[in-house]
Amino acid sequence: MRYCITHKTAYRYSEPASLSQNELFLHPRETVTQRVIQSRLTIVPEPQYLHQRMDYFGNIAHVFMVQQPHEELAMSTVSRVETSLPVTPAAAGTPPWETVARRLAAHESPAELEANQFVFVSPLIAISPAAAAYAHPSFPPGTPVLTGALDLVHRIFTEFTYDKSATTVDTTVDQVLADRKGVCQDFAHVAISCLRALGLAARYVSGYLETKPPPGKPRLVGADASHAWISLFVPDAGWVDLDPTNNLIAGESHITVAWGRDYGDVTPVKGVVMGGGVHSLSVTVDVAVQA
Amino acid sequence: MIDPELNRPAASQAAPASLFGTVVFPGDAHCEAFSSPARPREHWQPLVTALDATGAETLNLRQDRVRRMRHEDGATYNPFDDPTGKGTPWSLEMIPLPITAGEWAGLEAGLIQRARLLEKILADTYGPQHLLKEGRIPSELVFANPHFLRPCHGIQPAGGRFLTYYAADLYRGADGRFRVFRDYGGNPAGLGYALENRIVISRVFPELYHQTQIRRLAPFFHSFHHSLIQRASLRRDDPGIVLLSPGPDSRIYFEHALLSRYLGYPLVEGQDLTVRNGKVFLKKLAGLEPVEAIIRLTSDDSSDPFALRRETATGVAGLIQVSREQNIDIVNPIGSGFVDTPVLSVFLPALCQQLTGENLLLENHPAWWCGTADGRDYVLANLEQLIVGPAMDRSTPPPLPDERMAAIQASPHTFMAREPVRPSVVPAWDRSSVNSRNTLLRVFACATDEGFTVMPGGLAITAADVDTLISGSPEHQQSKDIWVLSDQPVEPFSLMGGLQAVAEFRRSSDLPSRVADHLLWLGRYLERAEGLVRLLRSVFRRLSGEARPGDIPELPFLLNLLRADRIFPPVPDDGFDIPRYRELSAHLNAALYDKDRPESVVAILKRVQDAARNVRDRLSLDSWRVINRLEDFADNPASDPLELLDDTLFTLSAFSGLAMESMTRGLGWRFMDMGRRVERAMNQAGLIRIGLPQVCGEFRSALEALLEVADSIMTYRARYRSAYQLAPVLDLLIVDESNPKSLAFQFSQLVAHVEHLPRQSDRRFASPEERLALEMLTAVRLLDLSGLRCSKGVAQTEGLADFLDLVDVRLKDFTRQISAHYLTRVQATPHYSTIPGDRQP
Repeated sequence: MRYCITHKTAYRYSEPASLSQNELFLHPRETVTQRVIQSRLTIVPEPQYLHQRMDYFGNIAHVFMVQQPHEELAMSTVSRVETSLPVTPAAAGTPPWETVARRLAAHESPAELEANQFVFVSPLIAISPAAAAYAHPSFPPGTPVLTGALDLVHRIFTEFTYDKSATTVDTTVDQVLADRKGVCQDFAHVAISCLRALGLAARYVSGYLETKPPPGKPRLVGADASHAWISLFVPDAGWVDLDPTNNLIAGESHITVAWGRDYGDVTPVKGVVMGGGVHSLSVTVDVAVQA
Repeated sequence: MIDPELNRPAASQAAPASLFGTVVFPGDAHCEAFSSPARPREHWQPLVTALDATGAETLNLRQDRVRRMRHEDGATYNPFDDPTGKGTPWSLEMIPLPITAGEWAGLEAGLIQRARLLEKILADTYGPQHLLKEGRIPSELVFANPHFLRPCHGIQPAGGRFLTYYAADLYRGADGRFRVFRDYGGNPAGLGYALENRIVISRVFPELYHQTQIRRLAPFFHSFHHSLIQRASLRRDDPGIVLLSPGPDSRIYFEHALLSRYLGYPLVEGQDLTVRNGKVFLKKLAGLEPVEAIIRLTSDDSSDPFALRRETATGVAGLIQVSREQNIDIVNPIGSGFVDTPVLSVFLPALCQQLTGENLLLENHPAWWCGTADGRDYVLANLEQLIVGPAMDRSTPPPLPDERMAAIQASPHTFMAREPVRPSVVPAWDRSSVNSRNTLLRVFACATDEGFTVMPGGLAITAADVDTLISGSPEHQQSKDIWVLSDQPVEPFSLMGGLQAVAEFRRSSDLPSRVADHLLWLGRYLERAEGLVRLLRSVFRRLSGEARPGDIPELPFLLNLLRADRIFPPVPDDGFDIPRYRELSAHLNAALYDKDRPESVVAILKRVQDAARNVRDRLSLDSWRVINRLEDFADNPASDPLELLDDTLFTLSAFSGLAMESMTRGLGWRFMDMGRRVERAMNQAGLIRIGLPQVCGEFRSALEALLEVADSIMTYRARYRSAYQLAPVLDLLIVDESNPKSLAFQFSQLVAHVEHLPRQSDRRFASPEERLALEMLTAVRLLDLSGLRCSKGVAQTEGLADFLDLVDVRLKDFTRQISAHYLTRVQATPHYSTIPGDRQP
């Protein structure tokens, strides 16, 4: 599929900000199933300083600074990508999760070493006894790793309520586990915490999902949002992306921007501002299918 | 093994009582000073003899002197906020710890090798990560280690060094061998205290210090400085090097200020620096000045609140991005705290072999990592003999004893275990006798063009029990000077050479806005304190006579002055001008000592001290010693108030004199003096306004009191040789430009100061503050006091009241303009607000 994604973020300050510094993870990355045709970043007012780099996880990050007084700041990225359907291994044929955990601990191949970094606690994802306990029913001894993960994702989908008002950026995994409420970011964090509790490697994926309007209704431009899901390491097969919010294996309509250990590694837009008083933030995303 | 028979106090066998006879000889630890009871080791003999010859009484006096000197130098932490503890990090105990030349040579070689090895490991970890990929270090050490900062990966330090400054804690085991207990690379602490200890001890034992061949510390600092300024990343002339400190709230801020003064690099805080165009700048009065190198005294994770997502005001947002662009040389680079990872040492022997082909010269303290099956099995089998602690992050609390097993099994890689430490013991002076203390040696190395060099000396950290020594805070530990003995005569190298006048003013007259702000307030608080002390002294002087309060005619005037400054509560509706004696003395007592009253003497003195502490690196050592004496005020609530006020006034004057004298007439001096002038003008104008309705009373004593409080009585007598009359008194206090206490004098000084401030426009009197100062000076020069007289007990003062009101408004406006123009770059902390990003739905 070919998509054109427009992601606009705007800050408005109550007083002029004298200096603003931002880091963006908005440039989609190339993957086995995704080709980036073009990605263009526009910033208003024009920043005095702009730097692009590849981060530790291979994502593309932009850092910029606006150094003159400004009351508004708008960042917009327009990206055109082409995705293809990932080849997903048959769940029952994947190795038992204990074997996977053992191979990750031994990490004898470069791929396993690379995956090993997604086994541990990360700043926003603790591994608590509660997470281990929640994961347990999905992983009886000898369960193929993908079968267990699909069951876990299914349980999160059915047992957790999607509720935008229940959590904030700072809500912990344990809190979400206790309340069983949250948004895609929270569900991804919970799923990752559960998988890591078993010694499995799971990473946080930030991106977009094409939304399909109800039959007969027109698609609303700009009503989309950024999205988050997880990726599970399956030895020999590679990474398999699972979407706990929608209970599915990520396919052609999932567009990957960046991945990391948790949301904190790949926050789409974060910044610091000097002065500026109170700020308000607005975000619009549009995912359009291209012919 | 040591013969248990010998394990007795030496005094029982040695005939002439030695001071060291009380030393309890440890059975299971090495004794630094004695090879057996009453038999000092050879290199201790001169010290033991000299101390014995000095005698207990003199030694007590010297230990007191040590404490006093340390205190006066400001090594005491936050004394005002901590009235009970007076917590001093690493308080200095005077008996030095000598180390022989031969033994030191071994340590030196071992430390240099270790620093080189650690730098190679850092360079690899933040670079190609061969060690990780080849399995030479476990993946947990990188992936599960909070000391590995991913945003710093791939950064090639601008100065080419991953580790410039390194410290280690060593101890000597029961077998007499030194081992490394901890490594420090993030921001090693203690160098300043080692320097301070040497300065104090060489002054307390001058004969001993100069008779013994002790290697000097100064060459180490010189090579540190010279290697730094020769780096290619720095400008050849006048490189912008700063010391970045968390600020006065750091408990070792003393050390930061001392190092800044000694090395001559300005001491800055995060809010003094800003990032523009991918470069770092220092915010100064005249504008932004480029910074090329930062000696970082902040911890890794508080160094860049932006990149590291920490809500902290101590760092500089964007610093890591600047490092990435190689536009700043940070010593040590952010991320070098990787060296501090406790479990790293376990892998050093093998890494040393692999990376350098050498054996590790200095042994580690025996430790095991639970992340391998072998290590875990050993630890679990020997739990009772081992001490379990965090493997990755020293600040994580260790597990409780009965939870160790479960904790290790749940997350083995996060734990390690050590053998208990049996450090050597050293003699220490404990009030009246010699005692034994456990000791660690903190030693320091720095990178030079010719490799690492080790400071010949260091900080011997001591404590009565091993737990406090290993995990206590510096406030609960003591320290000693380490004397590295030399076989050859040492070259005379003055330690004081670096401690010259304040560095910033030497380099350029410009200074950071924050410093200017603190200096301005220091000037204001000093003047406020002096004014208040003078006023209270006048009150106490009158009350200490035989007259009853009701019979002192000028007392209501003086009390009104106190009320106007909100030092006294207002007169109740049904009350009298003069309260009853008991009430009066309660008010006066509160005016002196009540810490909760913002305008009490003790509160204002604290503000003087706080302001001074914020600019500690700008003040000469002498003036800093004087300001520490202000604490006597809080300490002596029982003494005679009059005497105490006299002493305090004396101390304040001494401080002002010294501070002003030791400063070049640059911007720092100007801001401090402007603060003083503004405050004095406000104070004098207030005095006169309140005094006017009363000075024409029956007795002219109020006029005399006015002159006294305004500190102009001697001038008046010398000039007029007459009784106190209204017109000449006001002439002296308001318009006489030759009287340093007059309003006119303050205004003319302000005019002179603002003329010299950095300005945008070359035109004179273009800025509002220049115009305001000039307006006040002109107004006072045009003031006509000829019509002033007392008529029927009332002062005829048309025009004067209006003038005083105008002065009040203009002075406030003046301070506002100065702040807006020069000091607004100083933002209240936290100066940045973070925008964490939108949640992903």
